[in-house]
Amino acid sequence: MSNITKGRELTFSILKYNPRDPESRPRFVEFKMYETTGMTLFIVLSKIREEMDADLSFDFVCRAGICGSCGMLVNGKPLLACRTLTADYPDGNIQIMPMPAFELIKDLSVNTGKWMDAMSMRVESWIHTNEVHDISALEDKVDPDIADETFELDRCIECGLCITSCGTALMRPDFIGPAGLNRVARFQIDPHDNRTNEDFYELVGDDDGIFGCMTLLACEDHCPKHLPLQQKIAYMRRKLVSVK
Amino acid sequence: MSNIIEGYLGVTPDTRKSRLPARLDWWQSATGLFLGLFMWGHMFFVSTILISKDFMYQVTRFFEGSFIFDEPKPILVSMIVFIVFAIFIVHAALALRKFPTNYRQYKIMKTHTVVLNHDDTKLWFVQAYTGFAMFFLGSIHLYTVMTQADKIGPYASADRVVSDWMWPLYILLLLAVELHGSIGLYRLAVKWGWFDGKNPKAARKRLKKIKWAVTVFFLTLGFVTLAAYIKIGIEHKDNYGERYHPSKIVKMPSCCLHQGGVV
Amino acid sequence: MKIIYCDALVIGGGLAGLRAAVATQTSGLNTIVLSLVPVKRSHSAAAQGGMQASLGNAKMSQGDSEDVHFIDTVKGSDWGCDQDVARMFVNTAPKAIRELASWGVPWTRVRKGVHEAVINTEKTTIVEDDEAHGLITSRDFGGTKKWRTCYTADATGHTMLFGVANEAMKHKVDIRDRKEALSLIHENSVCYGAIVRDLITGELEAYVAKGTLISTGGYGRLYQTTTNAVICEGTGQAAALETGIATLGNMEAVQFHPTPIVPSGILLTEGCRGDGGVLRDVDGYRFMPDYEPEKKDLASRDVVSRRMMEHIRKGKGVPSEFGDHLWLDISILGREHIEKNLRDVQEIAEQFNGIDPADEGAAGWLPVRPAQHYSMGGIRTNATGESQTLSGLFSCGEAACWDMHGFNRLGGNSVSETVVAGMIVGSYFADYCDTHDTVISTKTVHKELKKQDSYLDEILSRADGEDIFPIKKRMQEIMDEDVGIFRNGDGLKNAVDELQELLTRSKKAVVKSKARAGNPELEEAYRVPRMLKLALCVAYGGLLRTESRGAHYREDYLKRDDKNWLNRTLTTWADEDATLPEVNYEELDIMKMEIPPAFRGYGAKGMTVEHELSEKRQEEVDALKEKFEAEGKDRFEIQDALMEYGLPKNYKDTNERLGVGRE
Repeated sequence: MSNITKGRELTFSILKYNPRDPESRPRFVEFKMYETTGMTLFIVLSKIREEMDADLSFDFVCRAGICGSCGMLVNGKPLLACRTLTADYPDGNIQIMPMPAFELIKDLSVNTGKWMDAMSMRVESWIHTNEVHDISALEDKVDPDIADETFELDRCIECGLCITSCGTALMRPDFIGPAGLNRVARFQIDPHDNRTNEDFYELVGDDDGIFGCMTLLACEDHCPKHLPLQQKIAYMRRKLVSVK
Repeated sequence: MSNIIEGYLGVTPDTRKSRLPARLDWWQSATGLFLGLFMWGHMFFVSTILISKDFMYQVTRFFEGSFIFDEPKPILVSMIVFIVFAIFIVHAALALRKFPTNYRQYKIMKTHTVVLNHDDTKLWFVQAYTGFAMFFLGSIHLYTVMTQADKIGPYASADRVVSDWMWPLYILLLLAVELHGSIGLYRLAVKWGWFDGKNPKAARKRLKKIKWAVTVFFLTLGFVTLAAYIKIGIEHKDNYGERYHPSKIVKMPSCCLHQGGVV
Repeated sequence: MKIIYCDALVIGGGLAGLRAAVATQTSGLNTIVLSLVPVKRSHSAAAQGGMQASLGNAKMSQGDSEDVHFIDTVKGSDWGCDQDVARMFVNTAPKAIRELASWGVPWTRVRKGVHEAVINTEKTTIVEDDEAHGLITSRDFGGTKKWRTCYTADATGHTMLFGVANEAMKHKVDIRDRKEALSLIHENSVCYGAIVRDLITGELEAYVAKGTLISTGGYGRLYQTTTNAVICEGTGQAAALETGIATLGNMEAVQFHPTPIVPSGILLTEGCRGDGGVLRDVDGYRFMPDYEPEKKDLASRDVVSRRMMEHIRKGKGVPSEFGDHLWLDISILGREHIEKNLRDVQEIAEQFNGIDPADEGAAGWLPVRPAQHYSMGGIRTNATGESQTLSGLFSCGEAACWDMHGFNRLGGNSVSETVVAGMIVGSYFADYCDTHDTVISTKTVHKELKKQDSYLDEILSRADGEDIFPIKKRMQEIMDEDVGIFRNGDGLKNAVDELQELLTRSKKAVVKSKARAGNPELEEAYRVPRMLKLALCVAYGGLLRTESRGAHYREDYLKRDDKNWLNRTLTTWADEDATLPEVNYEELDIMKMEIPPAFRGYGAKGMTVEHELSEKRQEEVDALKEKFEAEGKDRFEIQDALMEYGLPKNYKDTNERLGVGRE
């Protein structure tokens, strides 16, 4: 691994701020380093911490675009930092900011988990049923297409990019957000869940829910999992507006 | 009492969520759709001036009930405008729910729009600005036309544009209406998923293209039409107040007799 | 510094911990789950390919049963597992998957009618029965007789994790994230909770509980090249080790996955090969059938990884600036299949390497090379999941050495273990918490709190010395170089020596920022010495074990030595100042095995030093089987006679299968 090509010089401008430290002032700090093949922001930020600024806080877990920990604003765009390649920035200037909409912990680290848990509780993100399954007996049959459709929406990784992209969610912190509406659609489709549209209306049938969405569609355009948010939010809107 | 209960507790007496937000959302869309489509029609009507003054005149007469009454009934136009005005006010009131309502919200949205640089988010900001502008521009226009429904016609309208100094307002209003309307109709279509088909992403791309085509088409049509009225208005400046007398009368020989007689 | 009381404390919020928390919470115990990260971001989410459970719904899995799953698991483990635990596991796995289905995990279902599949690079037609339509389907995985791996495309761990986390929320389990357990609170060899650091505020808290369960996953980050998430640093095992009482089992048993992508080391699921993908060398030649004529690309992971490295050593690797690699070819599966069932794989390849694996021919081939993947070793427990030496401490999932994997784990058995162990151990854990009291003086609690507090102060007070990051990096390099796929005495000796030196140095490392909170370097400074202790357990255990078994492969001791090494390594670290663990061994009793040691069916033949009891036990087993079969006993009765095992709740019930009922 010794002969890794040393490439052009990159400049990173990173927002640093510790809201828990009264002395701390929000500021952009510059770091420079040479590009290597296949360099991602995971590699960059780890290197900065290890070699330049050990105090820089950020979150990574899987570093493979699966766990949803590392949402950041990269040159203004909400992205998963772990799978953002420096090669995609031809001028070599990369600005990294923490995602708005979430509680800032420090520097690039934000509390998406807290937001998502609150969302899950609000939409009661679990199967509602009174049936008791005998787990040693055959499982209930599910139409393969319905299972696939449920899976499609279950692919949300709660990274928060949709929330950060959503002007409505930024402006109105009580808005349930695309992730929340997608979650409702997921359970609405799931045959295991016995909730009716009336029940879902009780969860998101207001201006903090489905009727607060302004169809800005940035969620659809920034979802790293390419979830059909536009389609499913429209679907839920049609379902819930017709609830008697 | 249920009003008080819901107002303070946030739930209806049967502990359900109010169905009103759903209705409001629906009505916002419905009034928007109506206004958007109305504006398409409106644009076609006023642009008839580009074909000929006579044609525009006849269209005006049509709305004054020429198909039933022998005499023009501008009150019919007033009534139509009243209805449109009412829908306009309802739409504005419902759309207010979506506006930034304090400095913080405005600041967030403004920064977000600039930083994210996302097409549909920017378009929303255009919609919000133009919507806000129309509270005033639209109201002035609607009130004028409602109360002076008799003063519509090739000369009367042109006079209003030029001699009554409405052209600056119309330029702004035209921009506001066409941008707001086409963006709004596009957003409505994706919001409710009307044309999603098998591939909603592709459908949206197509709608976006159509949206831009519609914007360009109506803005062009609008400005050419406005230019036509300005031209007539300037030419007609010295005869301010004079009404148009059609050069050809087709099927409605009596109308010219009454033309101008109402005022 | 505050003390928080609860009935059951679960450290680690991945699949295993959350499932165990559901078990305790639903039995009426006040349960708290602590997690380094929001629980839905746990490394369980990264399990892609699937979960093994012998449902036998799909055509290619018909005829599957607990018995077949059991045999595969024992062979996979290279006879290093506890066979009663493996039995407990295989009988509960179908129940686990059915429970998860009812919790909303959208398992991919059987679709009736004609399907095309790629088997051994040939397009093959499979016809699924009408009766199976809508039941949970399964795919092929390495080292299994039947297509047994159930899945949701290639995001199985993700959907399972969300399903279980949702269920935990439903039962109002108190989940607290960004919390790190630094040490365990114990008195008189009973564990009563943990000292915990809040990773946001930096505050120390004592969580006092009747019982404590560690489910913090593996220790893959001891290695430089690993598929593991950055949080898989073995913090749970280290906390247990530092009690000086709890033992760690088989720490040297570390699995290397054949197909992480180069250079990022991100895993490409075994489902790639399970679905028909193949490995190719620099000439585009499919080489695995030459080495493994029977299982080919789908031999067990330890075998495939070794064969790959062997092939690279023969000069058949593809040279690159990141070292030699081989190709994984899934393009032969066709675009439609990839875009439906291997979507995350495609996404990873496109995002990180700019390759679309569905592109036909060499353009779609993915660069792969084996890397650290799984920790078979962990906190040694008995079959109920409780530490053999520190009561009140339970462990399950990858964190534990329960021990159903022995020296090699089968693909699809790990996510399966998480939920199954979560159910079984969770249930025993609940019983324990229900029947035991918290009898510990607050003085002891405060003493432990104070100890950790002073330790952090001491780290911050160090004035000058070296950085912690290079020490960590060096440890990871050593582990890759000398404690990797191929091991030998010299390398291991070097590793042990240098790791000891690193451990000493790490205790003097300096932290630049002196803040107690929001200081990532401080976290490294207290974690790295703990990681080094684990690394020493792995390397030292590996050095002492002079045989090759499963994933532990000694070039200087090529044979599996049942005569001398049919045992489990147990390490403890009683002396804080020591630089080496104490190592003991726990013998495996052949005479209690249902399947005595034999050839695995893949890997090199004739590479075993037989134990004289193996043959004796085999004769005994054969005789017993014959006798019972003659008496008309069913397979459950026969199994029971060969090796009795217990399970809580109704987990021992027989599993219903399509067409065969509960036979």
